[in-house]
Amino acid sequence: MTKNEFLTKLADELKKNNIPDYDDIVAEYEQHFAFKMADGYSEEEIAAKLGNPAVLASQFESINQDKKSAGKKATTIIGLSFIDIFAGAFFVLLIAWEIIMAAFSLCSLAVAVCLFGEISPLSLIPPMPYGPALVFGISLTALALLTAVGCIYFAAFIRQLMRSFGRFHHNTIAAASGNAILPSIAIYPRLPAKTNRRIRTIALISLVLFASSFVLGMIISMILSGSLEFWHIWGWFGYKIGN
Amino acid sequence: MNIQYKKGVLELCVLSLLKKHDCYGYEISEYLSKHIDIADGTVYPILRKLKSDGLLTTYMQEESGGPPRKYYSLTKLGRETYEKEREEYLNFAKRVEALLEDDE
Repeated sequence: MTKNEFLTKLADELKKNNIPDYDDIVAEYEQHFAFKMADGYSEEEIAAKLGNPAVLASQFESINQDKKSAGKKATTIIGLSFIDIFAGAFFVLLIAWEIIMAAFSLCSLAVAVCLFGEISPLSLIPPMPYGPALVFGISLTALALLTAVGCIYFAAFIRQLMRSFGRFHHNTIAAASGNAILPSIAIYPRLPAKTNRRIRTIALISLVLFASSFVLGMIISMILSGSLEFWHIWGWFGYKIGN
Repeated sequence: MNIQYKKGVLELCVLSLLKKHDCYGYEISEYLSKHIDIADGTVYPILRKLKSDGLLTTYMQEESGGPPRKYYSLTKLGRETYEKEREEYLNFAKRVEALLEDDE
């Protein structure tokens, strides 16, 4: 008998005997074949050593399945669907935050490009001399980088959280219906150490660059305009003081 | 040897192996067929019965370079049952042995 003949016969007999999750049983025998074949046995030898599939299938017959588990499973699924509603809303919230962060990062970059190129679409960019514009441009580029790194990490975090929740979901149902439980998945993303280090370095550098060039830009602007409130001097909000 | 003798004892043997460490199905099958002359396939119905009796639990473990393996592990009930039945069996076997040797 070949492997396929054996497994088909076994599956047929199990189905005939009304054994629930017979595919689980067949999978176990299939794995037995895989191990034995790796040891160099032929399919026929393995099948012969396993025994008659019809006899084996009949040995499963006497096992009475847990009938209480049906009710337990139903309760578990009802409870889980309530958890799913809250978890789902929570995931929507997290994804919304991710989108906001990405938009913020892109906007910062766009403003930085405008400052570098001295362009002001729809006069949205407040007027200032090119010196502070350049410094503010660097500051915003750093901010864009910082939030972009944040975005990437946060996306990995959301993904891992969802996977972890999915596994919890699967295991809860599996436990209620008496199936095999898979190992749980950690909540936090486990990136390679190198990536982790790189992300941390980029975040740190861009944070320092953002803060220092922002302060520097402010100081330069104050000196150039001769006022602590340089935005009034340059008429950023549609009016000018002292003119 | 009569298969009916072996069957009841096989459960005990499986429990004794699992008391030492968790095993996957094939490991148990190999261990038993090395020590006791049975068809390789017989062990899987036994594992299933022990599981449905609540003496064993299963979990999947991902192996490098292969499909996840189903491991069997003794529950607290399984451990207690094993200790009790082991005692009973050894007592029983001793008496049977004494009885049969008396025959000579």
